[in-house]
Amino acid sequence: MILTGKSLSRRAALRGMGLSVSLPFLDAMVPAMAAPRVRASEPALRMGFVYVPNGVMDLKGEWTPQGEGTDFEFSEIGQGLAPYRRHLTFLSGLAQLNGRPGADGAGDHARAGATFLTGARPVKTEGLGIRAGVSADQIAARALEEHTQFGSLETGIEEPSVAGGCDSGYSCAYTNTISWRSPTTPNPVEDNPRRLFERLFGDGDSTDAAERLAKLREQRTILDFVRRDLARLKSELGAEDRRKLDEYAESIRDLERRIAKAEDQSGKDLPVVERPGGVPDSFTAHAKLMIDLQVLAFQADLTRVTTFMMGREGTWRSYPGIGVPDAHHAVTHHSHDKAKIAKVILINKHHVEMFAYMLEKMRGTADGDGTLLDHSMLVYGSSISDGNQHLHHDLPIVLAGGGGGRLRGGRHLRYPRETPMNNLLLSLLDLGGVPTESLGDSTGRLEGLTRA
Amino acid sequence: MSVSVQRLLAAAILGLAALATLAPYLSAEAKRPDPQFTARYCMACHSHAARTAGVSLEGLDTAEVSLQPAVWEKVLRKVETGEMPPPDMPAPEPGERAAFSRTLEGALDAAAAANPDPGRPPAHRLNRAEYANAVRDLLDLELDVASMLPVDDSGYGFDNIADVLSLTPALLDRYMFAARRVSRLAVGAPLAKPQKDIFVRNRETGFREQGHARASFGDLPLGAGRGVALRYRFPRTGEYLIALALDQGDSREAYKHEETRVSVDGGLRTLAFAFPRESSRPERAGPAASSAVPRPHPPLDVRLDGRRLHLVELPEAARPYSIRRISIEGPFADRGPGDTPSRRRIFSCRPSSPSDAGACAERILSKLARRAYRRPVTGADLGPLLAVYESGRSAGGFDRGIERALRALLVSPGFLFRTEDDPEGARPGSPYQVSDIELASRLSFFLWSSLPDEELLAAAQRGDLRKPGRLERQVRRMLADSRASALVENFAGQWLELRKVSKVKPDEILFPEFDADLRYAMRRETELVFEDILRNNRSVLELLDSDRTFLNERLARHYGIDSVHGSQFREVRLSDPRRGGLLGQGSVLAVTSYPNRTSVVIRGKWVLENLFGMPPPPPPPDIPELEEAAARDAKLTLRELMTLHSRSPTCASCHVRMDPIGFALENFDAIGRWRDTEGEAAIDASGELPGGMEFDGPAGLKRVLSTQLRKRFVQTVAEKLLTYALGRGLEYYDRATVRMIARQAEQSGYGLADMIVTVTEAMPFQMRRLPQS
Repeated sequence: MILTGKSLSRRAALRGMGLSVSLPFLDAMVPAMAAPRVRASEPALRMGFVYVPNGVMDLKGEWTPQGEGTDFEFSEIGQGLAPYRRHLTFLSGLAQLNGRPGADGAGDHARAGATFLTGARPVKTEGLGIRAGVSADQIAARALEEHTQFGSLETGIEEPSVAGGCDSGYSCAYTNTISWRSPTTPNPVEDNPRRLFERLFGDGDSTDAAERLAKLREQRTILDFVRRDLARLKSELGAEDRRKLDEYAESIRDLERRIAKAEDQSGKDLPVVERPGGVPDSFTAHAKLMIDLQVLAFQADLTRVTTFMMGREGTWRSYPGIGVPDAHHAVTHHSHDKAKIAKVILINKHHVEMFAYMLEKMRGTADGDGTLLDHSMLVYGSSISDGNQHLHHDLPIVLAGGGGGRLRGGRHLRYPRETPMNNLLLSLLDLGGVPTESLGDSTGRLEGLTRA
Repeated sequence: MSVSVQRLLAAAILGLAALATLAPYLSAEAKRPDPQFTARYCMACHSHAARTAGVSLEGLDTAEVSLQPAVWEKVLRKVETGEMPPPDMPAPEPGERAAFSRTLEGALDAAAAANPDPGRPPAHRLNRAEYANAVRDLLDLELDVASMLPVDDSGYGFDNIADVLSLTPALLDRYMFAARRVSRLAVGAPLAKPQKDIFVRNRETGFREQGHARASFGDLPLGAGRGVALRYRFPRTGEYLIALALDQGDSREAYKHEETRVSVDGGLRTLAFAFPRESSRPERAGPAASSAVPRPHPPLDVRLDGRRLHLVELPEAARPYSIRRISIEGPFADRGPGDTPSRRRIFSCRPSSPSDAGACAERILSKLARRAYRRPVTGADLGPLLAVYESGRSAGGFDRGIERALRALLVSPGFLFRTEDDPEGARPGSPYQVSDIELASRLSFFLWSSLPDEELLAAAQRGDLRKPGRLERQVRRMLADSRASALVENFAGQWLELRKVSKVKPDEILFPEFDADLRYAMRRETELVFEDILRNNRSVLELLDSDRTFLNERLARHYGIDSVHGSQFREVRLSDPRRGGLLGQGSVLAVTSYPNRTSVVIRGKWVLENLFGMPPPPPPPDIPELEEAAARDAKLTLRELMTLHSRSPTCASCHVRMDPIGFALENFDAIGRWRDTEGEAAIDASGELPGGMEFDGPAGLKRVLSTQLRKRFVQTVAEKLLTYALGRGLEYYDRATVRMIARQAEQSGYGLADMIVTVTEAMPFQMRRLPQS
């Protein structure tokens, strides 16, 4: 991918809420040319959620850092994140207890995917009555989407399962995604870089601003038509079908909002990027390309919320490139076999390397008075800790990014065992300006994340 | 109850009677099931007090199974298959078990016939395959749909399940995008600038899944040994630059580049890049006629629709050349849209003067809308479409207007969703017959994964589908049509997990021979076998065991058969009883293996789940492979350590079925090759299934499965077909329909086409339930 980029519209950066801002500072930051439409404001805070499937090895502290507070040492798997120490906090003790079997029996992988960002117990079904909970990324997306063309992006590097069941009587939707737009609407994950590119930047017959605008307006006539058509159809249908078509109506509204937003921002320069081909052969190339596109979307302020799945929950993917020709899921059921454990660690480290690439990319991208990494909150982890036993407590979670100057990094925090991970999600929503009373099984907020 | 409601109700009941779909539901046995059976064999665990697995049978009366049909269906299933009572508990004699099963089945069938429940799937969004087929049939345009739409979520083993097919903004975005691209391609809209498409050899699938439509090996010129055929849609008539990069099969930077500039008419064309045959053995089963001296570096033959464009001489090299990358850029010197099938399909008239344009547009759009909406269209449908047309026409002329209206049509909810209207006034929760027009769509989406054609739609409109014999005639006609290959691709592709063949990743070091050609051949074999059974109404039992299959040279050699020459598939009689049937096919053997080894458990589970509808529950966490690992250290053989499963009752209850099946297939390695030893040890493929079914090796296993478990297999085929046909999961109230389909199949020789006819005649396919309130 080639970035010949023009700079993005300059955003003045301020800390704290508008009230406490002193005017001279504001004046200094806003370039004279940019007035009057550009109003200085707090740098946009980006939220990203990166998911790794099948848990992370931690039998002998392979994941959990040694020591607590600021005085900690990186673990074997976490080592790849050492260059970003200042920007990250390891969080131990968190749990997604609704991932546990309870009365539902087998299906820990389905419940892992479904709980990670919802904290809700998914209904055990292959289809009828499918339900989890709204996910934290989507709560943020609904609140923040007024600022950007896309409320959120759901990305990954593995296609949904193409045949066969996924996990023990749960629909594949539960393992395919971690993002739920509503309790009953899972968001599909985009794994194809070309399709993601086209979604973000159009299909690229022309990058000419006037033509892009004309295209958007054309879309609007089509959407007008569809909206009327939908109303006509809905009047003839039963209540359940109408609910199904409500998803359609909501999607139309979202698209209309996006078009309006795009018109609004049509003066803004977009980075000039070459459209990627299809899906690259190698895991690494694919992962990096998807990360590039997410970072680009953050950079161009096309969205402020992303999710990224390094694989479907329960995935069988093998990693011959790093010496693991075995199915990932199979080796996580290692039964204390040393060779298998070593392979799991190799995969875990490889995933961490990809996350490090993302952090590097964001740290290298200027944004307002800092970098994208300064202005973001990224959660990396899994909803399973020990893949061998399918445990859903002591989850491997690391929080990265400066949070617009409010997150205090460089630490390892240990919370009481089985603290709901949703408490973390609520705290992040607070920081992101989307205060939410409760979410899934949350019991409160997570203390100690921010600077005093 | 008002008079009109009573009349409607009476009509609904009459409708039921007229259908006569319920008579076959009644099985012969109409005796009360033994009232003491559950007390003797079940109640120790399934009492109110114990409630094992949440089930209590206490107080349930076998005379009144209609009061708790869901529970009794479960009882029937568990008793009939022998899953209950568990191994360590008192069990009935085979005769007693069979008698109880038979009478319970009869009672449940009678209960279902007295109170039919067809279920109620919600509105269906077209899935990716259906979208592509609908566009193909509407516009004569084949799509590389994978570049436009994502894979859909699935449930119950299929991706056409209404409850799971949701619509999100991200997906609507894709539909908008696809609609724009499709409508532009279909009318041949001018491009702002030349476009460039690049196709790169994929490690898993080569070029087979690339291009704008599926290419076949038959597209290569006669006598081609190796090569690539690519179907490409040239958007306009004009000049194009076709560039290739070759390597020597190692993906290293290209060794040779070639560029050809060529004038092409717009539309779908086949580009073939062929390396002429390196040996001249004839393409037929039989001994080789001669063995010619291979040419080390035959030139590369580049053809467009069979016509040679270029013969590229290749320099000397150590290894044979392969095509690495193909790029096509154009049009330069654009000479218009060309006379494409899509344009001929769409423009059924041309306005002779500006005043004609409106009438012609109306004619074009009413034809397209009828097909796209799958029903007669009204003025209320056309008005909004014509308004969109007008907005396009005023901006850019007639073609532009049609293009824009087409684009609207392709994202219209009436196109993207299959909906069914409820009759007014009928009792909530009561079943009703879907309209003939709705039935037509049910048929076409089941059999073709696509829109009804005009013949079907017209028949429905005339009210013809429900006249005696007419439905069957339509179904047989549709099964004979090429579009019925959707059943192979989508139904068999998911049921037998053939779609996974392109995703498996055998270890490259252990299995260097596993390349794109072998991968393709494996999938193709099973597809051809299934298609043969479907099209020729052969017995579904041939899936379990058969002495025929379809092979090409590559796959035949893989199987150790050396009498098949050439890349074309052809029917082959098998003299070796080990290979016939699904369980000897590379596709199934590969998708049930890990990348670097076979798995007895996965194969056993696959067979039980997919072929016999007896999915073993997943293992409790922390147990899996525990013994295996422990035993590995002690240097036990796989067989020895798997016997550890039988030591624990928890493990044994499931592994007693899974493991013997898996062991019987151990002679097939992880990519389906025959082997007699694993490492040093000889393979022991003998085993026994509960009920004294003994066997040795795959041939013996198949014999046992296709005789002793025949009924379960046929019912499973019926279950899978019905799930797929209805696009919803099956519930207890569908069990009677499944049994009915299986019984009919038994009477008519198990023909797959016959079973499909029965499915379309069955009550849940013909009817729908009103919402409860």
